[in-house]
Order: sequence, then C-alpha cells, then structure tokens
Amino acid sequence: MSEHHDDHHQQSFLSKYVFSTDHKTIGIQYGITALLFLAFGFYLMMVMRWSIAYPHEPLPDWMSWVFTDGWKARWLQDGKVTGETYNMFGAMHGTIMVFLGIVPLGFGAFGNYVTPLQIGAVDMAFPKLNMMSYWIYAVGGLVMCASFFFESGAAKSGWTNYSPLAAIADSQYVNQWLTGQTLWLIGLVFLISSSLLGSVNFITTIINLRAKGMTWMRLPFFVWAMLVTGFLLLLAFPPLEVAGIMQLVDRLTGSSFFLPSGLYTKTDGILEVSGSGSPLLFQHLFWFLGHPEVYVLLLPAIACVAEIIPPNTRKPLWGYRSMVYAVLVLGFLSFIVWAHHMYLTGMGPVVSTFFQTTTVLISIPSVILLTSLIISLWGGSIRFTMPMIWACAFLPMFGIGGLTGLPLAFNIADMHLHDTYYVIGHFHYVVAPGILFGLFAGIYYWYPKITGRYMSNFLGHLHFWPSLICMNLIFFPMLMQGMAGFHRRWYNGGDAYLDKSGEGVNVFGATVFEHIDLNILMSWGAWIMALAQIPFIINFFGARLFGKKVESDNPWEATTLEWATPTPPGHGNFIEEPSVYRGPYEYSRPDHDQDFYPQWAEPKKKDSPDA
Amino acid sequence: MADSPEAIHKAKKNYIIVFLILMCMTVATVAVATIPALDIGKHGFDTADMILGLLIASFKAGCVMFIFMHLNHEKKLIYFLFGLAIVLALCLYFITKLAFIDPIIFEGFRLGEPK
Amino acid sequence: MVEIPYIFKPRKDTGLCNSKIAIWLFLASEVMLFGGLFSSYIFLRVFSDYPWPERTLPVLPGLINTVILIISSVTVVFAWAALKLRKWSQFQFYMAITLICAAFFMGLKALEYKAKFNHQAARLSDFTVVEGHLGYAKIDKEGRVSKVYHYGDHAEKGHGADHGDDSQGDSHGSDYKEFKHNKIFFKTSEIEVDVTSASGKYVDELIEQAHAAGSKIYLEEEVGAKRSYKDESPLQVGAQGEELSKALIKRAKSVFVSARTANGKLRRDNLSEQWAEAKAEHPDLRGWQIQKEYGVDVDLEAIKDRLVPMKKSLVFKVEPATTFYFKPSWITEGESLSKLKDNTILQGELQDSPMVISIDGLDFQHLVMKAEERQQDPETIIEKSWVLKDENTRQLWEVHKMMVVKLEEKLLEEYGAYKKDDEHGRYQKGDPKRVPTEKDHYRIDWQQIVAYGKALKEGKDISAMTYDEMKELRPGPVAGFTGPNHKTMNEYFPELSIPRNEVRFDSTFTPKWNTYYALYFTITGLHGLHVIGGGIVLGYYMFFGRKMYESNPDWLANRVEVGGLFWHFVDLVWIFLFPILYLM
Repeated sequence: MSEHHDDHHQQSFLSKYVFSTDHKTIGIQYGITALLFLAFGFYLMMVMRWSIAYPHEPLPDWMSWVFTDGWKARWLQDGKVTGETYNMFGAMHGTIMVFLGIVPLGFGAFGNYVTPLQIGAVDMAFPKLNMMSYWIYAVGGLVMCASFFFESGAAKSGWTNYSPLAAIADSQYVNQWLTGQTLWLIGLVFLISSSLLGSVNFITTIINLRAKGMTWMRLPFFVWAMLVTGFLLLLAFPPLEVAGIMQLVDRLTGSSFFLPSGLYTKTDGILEVSGSGSPLLFQHLFWFLGHPEVYVLLLPAIACVAEIIPPNTRKPLWGYRSMVYAVLVLGFLSFIVWAHHMYLTGMGPVVSTFFQTTTVLISIPSVILLTSLIISLWGGSIRFTMPMIWACAFLPMFGIGGLTGLPLAFNIADMHLHDTYYVIGHFHYVVAPGILFGLFAGIYYWYPKITGRYMSNFLGHLHFWPSLICMNLIFFPMLMQGMAGFHRRWYNGGDAYLDKSGEGVNVFGATVFEHIDLNILMSWGAWIMALAQIPFIINFFGARLFGKKVESDNPWEATTLEWATPTPPGHGNFIEEPSVYRGPYEYSRPDHDQDFYPQWAEPKKKDSPDA
Repeated sequence: MADSPEAIHKAKKNYIIVFLILMCMTVATVAVATIPALDIGKHGFDTADMILGLLIASFKAGCVMFIFMHLNHEKKLIYFLFGLAIVLALCLYFITKLAFIDPIIFEGFRLGEPK
Repeated sequence: MVEIPYIFKPRKDTGLCNSKIAIWLFLASEVMLFGGLFSSYIFLRVFSDYPWPERTLPVLPGLINTVILIISSVTVVFAWAALKLRKWSQFQFYMAITLICAAFFMGLKALEYKAKFNHQAARLSDFTVVEGHLGYAKIDKEGRVSKVYHYGDHAEKGHGADHGDDSQGDSHGSDYKEFKHNKIFFKTSEIEVDVTSASGKYVDELIEQAHAAGSKIYLEEEVGAKRSYKDESPLQVGAQGEELSKALIKRAKSVFVSARTANGKLRRDNLSEQWAEAKAEHPDLRGWQIQKEYGVDVDLEAIKDRLVPMKKSLVFKVEPATTFYFKPSWITEGESLSKLKDNTILQGELQDSPMVISIDGLDFQHLVMKAEERQQDPETIIEKSWVLKDENTRQLWEVHKMMVVKLEEKLLEEYGAYKKDDEHGRYQKGDPKRVPTEKDHYRIDWQQIVAYGKALKEGKDISAMTYDEMKELRPGPVAGFTGPNHKTMNEYFPELSIPRNEVRFDSTFTPKWNTYYALYFTITGLHGLHVIGGGIVLGYYMFFGRKMYESNPDWLANRVEVGGLFWHFVDLVWIFLFPILYLM
C-alpha cells in the first residue's frame, strides 16, 4: 500500500518548492507571480501616463532606463511614445492586470491558500492538478509577455482584442507564430486552461472535503465567494476560448470567422479572404466571459474584506444569510448581462431592454453585499489593525466604483459615456482602490499565519495613505473628463483635439481645453503611487525576517478554521482532524466568556446549543 | 450505482440493447437525409429536415447520457451541475440570437446586423 | 497520514466521490465550449452572405466514423464493467478495442482532411465557383512553363517521373522542380529586399529558383553603411558581386539596427535638451502651450553631421532576367512591379499566370445570388460566364439543364400540384408541391459530372434518359469515398486554364475557402484533439494500470469510469457534429 503513505521527508528542492503539490506553496507561488505581473502592468501604465500628460516630450530617463537603446529606437519616435507603442502598452496593461494579476492573486493565491484551511481539509481535492494549474498559468503569462521582445511587439488591439482589427494587426509578418497578436491568443488559451483546471479543483474541494460539522451555512463567506468564483470561471471561460481559437484560426489559416465581406485596408486594398464573418459574434463571445470575469475579480476581494471585518469589530458579519443568497444570485445573473458592454453595436430596443433590466437587477445583490459589510461596522468595537484599515477603505472606494457604474447600465446614458474616460474611471475605481485594496487587506491579514510574523504597521501606513490619496487623485478626474467627452485610448491625452486658442467655435476643443490639464495631475498621482508601493515591497519580503512575532496561532482572535492550524500550517494542515460546532462569526456571544467562540472549539456542557 | 455482479450483468445487457438502438438511429438519420423518398418538408434541405435531424441526434445523445453515462441513477447534484451548463449554453445561443435579429432599423438601414 | 478522502469512495452526505464531481464539472465546461462553437456555426450560417455549402461532404466516411465511435462507447463501458467484475484480461481486451476504434477514427479523419487539402477551389470574377484539382507543371531555364501531367496521372505514377516531351534536354532530374499549376509568374531583373522584414523562407525560395534556372542574384555595387557616427568609414555590408544569402541580409539588418539605434539616441537626447531649454525659458507655460507656441522639435542642424544614413533595403540584380514563380498568397502582383508579403519588391514583367485545373465541381449559386441582388436575369449572366466558353464545360452545362428539367417533371409526377391557392399567399393553384432547389439548379457536383460524362461518352440519347437513369451512372459513395477520384475518373473532368485576371479568390478546401470549412476544421479538429486526449488517458490505464489493479482495484475502476465518462462525452459531441456538418 505504498501510495497511501507518502512521508515527504526526502523531498527535493524541485518537488518541494518548484513543482509543489501543496496548496499553500502553490498559493504563495501564485501570489508572488501575480504581484510581479501587477508591478509590470503598473509600469506599462506609468509610461502610458507620460504619453497622456506630456505627449510631445521624450520619455525621461528615470522611466526609460529599463529599455535598451535599440528598443527605444524601434518603438519611440525621437524618444516620444508613439501611438503604436501606446496601444501596445495599453492592450498589455489591461491583459496583464486582469488575467495575469488580479485573478491569479485573488483566486489562485488567496483561494488556494485559505480555502482548504477554512473548510478543514488537508489539501485541495486534486493536488497534482493544482500544481499543473499554476505552471500552465506561469507559462501562459510568459508566452504573452515574451512577445514584447519580438519584431512585431506585443498585442496592440486593446485588452478586448476585437476583430477585425485584432485579426489584421501584425498580419504583415510572414511568420504569424512569432507575432504579438498570435502569442496573445496562445497565451490566453493557456490561461483559460489553467483557470478551468483550477475551478474544477476548487468546486470539488468545497463540495466534498468539508470537515465534519461544516455544513453549508457554517461556511465562512470567503468560501461561498470562492465557490461562486469557481463556477464563473468554469462556465464563462469556454466561449472566450472558442472566440480565441477562432481568431487564432483566422490569423493562421486566413479564414474569416470574424472578418466581414469587402473589408478594405489602406495597405492591402480589399482583403483577400472569403468574408461573411461576423465581428459582432466575437464581441458577444468575448463579453460572455468579460462580464462574469469582473465578478471573478471582485468576489475574492470582497471575500477577504468579509473575513477581516468580524474579528476587527468583534461582531458577527451582518446579514450572513442574505450575503450568501446575494452572491449566488449575483453569480447566476452575471451570465446574462454581458451586452451592456455593447450598447453601441446597434442592438435594437428589445434586446437592449433585456440587458438593461438584468444589469439593473444585478446591482441589487451587489448592493446587498456592500451594505451588509458596511452595517457590519455599526456598533462594533473596531480595532484599526492594518488589514482593517485597508478593508475599511475598500468599502467607500468600491462604493464609488459601483455607483458610477449605474449610469452605464442604461443605454441612453451609455451612449454619451461609452468609450470615454468615465468608463475607465468607473472600472478602475472598482478594481484599483476597490479590489486591490481588498486584496492588500488580505495580504496583511493572513501574512502572520503564513510566516508567523506581523507585517510592520509603520510601513503599512506608509503604503496605505499615499496609495489611498493617489488613487483618488488619479481616478476621480477621469470621471470628470469622461463626462466632458474625453475618449479612451487617446495616446496624446486629447492634445490632437485641443482648441489651442481656448476660445472659438470648436465646442469639443474648448471642453478638452478645460480638462486637459487634469492629465498632469493624474499622471503625477500615478507616479507617486509607484513610490508608495516601495514600503509594501520592503514589508512583504522583510517582515518575515524582521517582523514582530505572533503571540499565538490565532493572533487576530478570529473564529474561522484557518486559525486552528499551527503557524505556518504544515503538510496536512491540521494536527488532528477538526470538527465544526457552530457558525463562522460567533463574536461577542452573551453566553460565552470570551468575546469570540471559534468554530472548532468543543462546546462545554453548560453552554446553550449553538444556533 | 451498479455494484453487484448480477446488477452489472443486467447493465451489460442494457448496453447492448441501447447500442442496437443507436445503430438504428444512426442509419435512420442518414436515410432521412439521403434517400429522396424519405425527404420530408420541401425538396432538398429545409427547416423540417433540420428539426428531424436534431431530434434524432438529441434522442441518441439522451441514450448515451442517461444509460452509458449512468445519468439515470446519478445524484441530484450532478444533474444540477450539468443542467446549469446546458441552461447557460442555451442562454448564450438565444440571447445572442436575439441581439442579431433585433437590430436598430433607421431609414431602412438595419444597423447592427452582423454582415 | 495525509490522504485526501473520498478519492473513489463516496462521501456520505453528497453521495459522490471527488473524481465524479470533477469530471461532471469538466463536462459542464465542455458543454459551454462546444455550445459556443455550435452557436457560432448557426450564426455564421444563418447570416452568411454567400450560398452556404449544403450537404457537400461525402457522407460515408462520416457514417463509418459515427458507427466506430458508438462501438467504442459500448466497449469502454464494457471495459469498466469487466474491471468491476475483477476480470483483468477482459478489461484489457475491451479497452484495446476502444483504442483501436479511436485510432481508426483518427485515421479516417486524416484521410478526409488530406482529400480536402488537395482539393482546389476558385471563385471567378463573375462569382462562378469552380472546384477541382490543379495540374502539375515545370519551368525551364528560359522561363517557359510546361505541363508535366494531369493531377490524376501524377497521383498514380508518383513523383519525379518524366512524362511529356523529352526534348527539353536537361530539364529533368533535379534541375527542375514540379509544382502545382497555380502560381504567379514574374520575370524580373531587379529585386529589392527590405532587410528588416525579409523572410528566410522567401529568400531561400528565391535562391533555389535562381539556382535551378542557372541565374545569379547579386549585388551590382558594393554596399557599405556606418553603424553610428563612431564608425570612421562605412563598413562593408556586401561586396560587389556578392550573391543573395540569408547571412548577407542578416549582416545588413544588424548594421541597419545599429544605425537606427545610434540615430535614435542622438535625436532623443537632442529633443530632451530642446525641451529642457524650452521649459527653462518658459516655466509658467504648460507643455502643450510650449509646443503650440514654439514647436519644440529635434534640432537637425546640430546633429546632422553625426546622423548616419540607414540602409533599409538592398538592391540585387538578377542575371539573366529570370522568371520566378510564387504562390498567389505570397505576392501582390502588378504588370511591372510586384511585391512579396515580406516587402521584397520585384521589378520586371508579369507573365501569364493561369490556374490550370481539372474541374470536378461547377457552382453558379453565388453568381445567381449576386445577379438577383442586382436584379439581373441569372440565366443570362450564366450564359456569359467564362467557364462556359470551354466546349467540354458547355456540354456538361447543357446536359445538366436538361436533367434539371427532368427533375422538375419527376417531382411534379411524384408529388403532384396544389389543388388550391394558399391562404397565406405562399403558392397558387397548379404550383408543383415540390421543386428543385437552388443547389439542384445551379450546382453540378462531381458525381453528376462523371454521370454526364459517361452518358456522353457512351453516346446515349440524353434527352430520352430519365432523371433516375442518369442517376444510375453516378459513381456512388464507395467509389468516391473521400471525394472525387481523379485517379480513375479524370477523363471526365474537363481541364481549364483559367487566366489570372478571371480568378477573384482561390484556395484549397481549408479554413480559408469559406466559413463552413473553417468551422468544419475547427470543430472536428478540436473534437479530434479530445479523442486523442481521451485515448491517451484510457491507454495509460490499459498499459500501466496493472499495479493499481493489484493494490487497489476500486481506485482503478473509478479512474476508468471517469475516463469513460469523458469518452462518452466525446461521442456525444460527434453525435451532433455528424448530422450538422455532413447531413445539413
């Protein structure tokens, strides 16, 4: 029976750290890789912001030192960011942040590390599959980013990669396999495969590996959120895979899945393709994933916040049951709202009414979630620990993001706001000061469990306050610019449309004139925010060596199962198989001495039966 | 789940019967499409032929799913998971179709039609 | 120790084991995947703006494959049953049959694919569509193109055999390479290569063809360039008379990139200085204001002595002037100047570049659709079509028209006419209940061509034949297993030499030809990958499962069951694929 007793004493470096099948190691791998990609995506944005704020000036040395002279000669014109380079950076910034950064961090890192611990399992249901998920993601990410070094550069048709532009871009190169657009699609196929394997693993684990006594309604909200995220990834990604494969076939074989008849370009004239394809079909397939994807971004972050608030208010989570139902409804509805990203494609009244209705409906569960979290603060005995500070910042920031989304739900308002900076402001508010703050909160919260030391509070504040201020400096003006009509993806920040006299009959030019200087404020906000991440990097790597040691296995005095493990949890996680006796947020129970009653603590005979 | 030897032998007999049904259905679907005497609806391929072909295919798929894949004595959770996927796939198809057949019509131009 | 529970034993409250949940979750995602593909098929077909190929695939291979896959579905579940009954060799036996079926399936699929890759189609300028097989040709040193042989002969007698006129002297053996007769012939004496975009594949092709023709591609003059102002004198990139080679291009590219880098740095540094000065002078103004007022730009005067000329292209002379031939997709041709896809420019003269094809399919449906859009009479436009100028094709078309009339009569006889007018106005009294379709009217497929050809050859009186009698002369599904058989039937397929300006769009039967084939290859390709994947997993358990069988047979049975579920799903997809792609 040798398969059953693997002792793991003699694990090599490779099998312990590189090809580990332990969910905790894999979680950390995902986390560090994702943070590196986030930093890379951030850098791309910094260059873009230079082009927006100072379109005529060459990229300064303090930003461009990472590039070789040869690269600069190829991609910059006299040192200035060209439109093509801006588009390339823009497309990759979006792709990297969404697919290589936030999803792996939220779902791959936090999901992998915390979920088995919170349900009382020894590991994920399929550890080898888990390891493969991580490596397929890493390879896919590298394939996508390797294209920066190719002749054609990386993908440059927006993170949405719409045909026909995305099918034609880079088509002038003879060897299509070495073009950025093709490699983007290949990388995407890898990433989707990684997500699919991961979601199968998560859902199976949550259904079948819960500890004794861990009934569905005793699951921490975090686990519910991960379950729904898993379903979103499982069922929404395949249509994008279909679209990606079809676009790949278009590029490599000259087919016309998404190329309409009679397409004309300046360099090639009428394209020699069979035609009759449908660019609109690509958009439907893309956004069928695209919308659930934003909930995949959100749910892990809101899950972290939901776990941090109860121990830091010493109160149960308010409206746990409503939150569970809300997240399930949110998950289902997210599949049928996608075309609110496509109001300007000529959809008729029936179908756009359908999507407006479902989109407005989906705001209800979102609001239930956020409101429950906010009400959870009421009357609490609030401990402003570093995780709590980040979690509290998440609430209003995500609130602004969510509220600014409401006008976009209506096609009338969207007609004015579509493809403007308003949309960029909206989704960045949700993702950057929203989701990312939630994930930072998670890092600060679980760091002591992973390493046995707290992260430094001082560095934490140095990270938090400038980040919070800068986020608002960057994204709030975007809402204003957007309402004034500033388009997305302008590489020169609006300079070309400027009515330089400041007067005159060009109304749009005058509007641009009034708002263009905000670009400088926003760009400086972005660059200063980069500096604010340095304390975080020092903290993240340094605190495990120099941070204050935890006093116990449960430093935050929390109630969920991950705090029942040794610090850090060893192979197999729990010393003995845990049993669960009560719900996940039993804080300040009047009938109990301590102000928290962990899920795993055996009930004493004189306690009243748990609800 | 069939575990005892007798149950498995009985199941094997069922598989053979279903196999023969599938063979007949396969021949039927080809016959209906190729033999002119069996051409329903208009001459050549038309909507009636499509519906008939899809019905036969669905019946065959049902046989494979419920009997070969043991779905007929599977747990409710599995039904739910698989059913959810089928529902969402149908949503993808029908809602996208709605978008395609309901374009904006402005002065005779059908905007938003995928051509 | 650390054992994951419920790997194959079900958990009490859910009643399921992990792998069962996992495989059904995976199948759920596959439903979304193939659902997306089938949905795309429907949308692309319904909204297509050219006639969709209906029922044009040979059915027999698809039918055999369907049967094979269903058999394998049964054997895989029998294999699982054998495992549950602890009969190891029976398990291996049934699993082996499953895998053999899978291999047979893929083999047949490969045959089908191959037939399509070799089958050519072209849409002519008036939207007539011809299908067939290209002839083979060779080119001699003087640039004369001659036919090697018919596709059918070539396929039978194999490569390299020299048929036709031997008097061309040394134009056989390895001096010439035969090629498919669908090329653009361009006689050139000057080639300009763009060193940054030149493709190794294209350069190799130019060199090889020049070599075969006995001509030289060389630099007329020495080419030199500086890498930066630091080079005192230009480096020799290419010597006078140096022949075209990949190494030469690489050298030139490297010098070019260095020059671009050096120049770029000079310009960049200069512009930064200009800006620094401008900002110091006007500290109160914004960047765009400075740009508007003072137009800050690179001060060329200051750096022009250090800027180096960048040699982006090399000009080669071809001696003697040679006729090169290229695949149409490689080249955008013009009368006196042609450009290859990698920006290589050829100066010279465009030669006759016909497409020589043996026709096994003639389709006027697209032409008719266009004519009807323009409110012209389709029959008139067809009569004017270029293909009907050939007497063989004309004859076939005349026979076909007669047969369509006979079909009309036959349908009227068999199904009768309407007795009264339709209340919705769809038909009137006396209208026949069934009429031939557009496809019947305007498409002659290869089976019909062979039938008509046989009838003509045997000297039958076509006007006296019935529709069914003509149908008897068709080769049938076995003779044409994967499609038109040029080996045995090429005498019936007329050979046309279509001038290049008549060809609007051409392709083999690959995804490029139309969306139907694109979808066909994509969906069946993905399905095939799933067959291979499933086969690998099942094969693994068959070959390497003995150890697990001995230590934990329930675990193995569970694994095989889960693998079998995947296999059944793959069969499910094919159950839908077969009718949708082959029968509709």
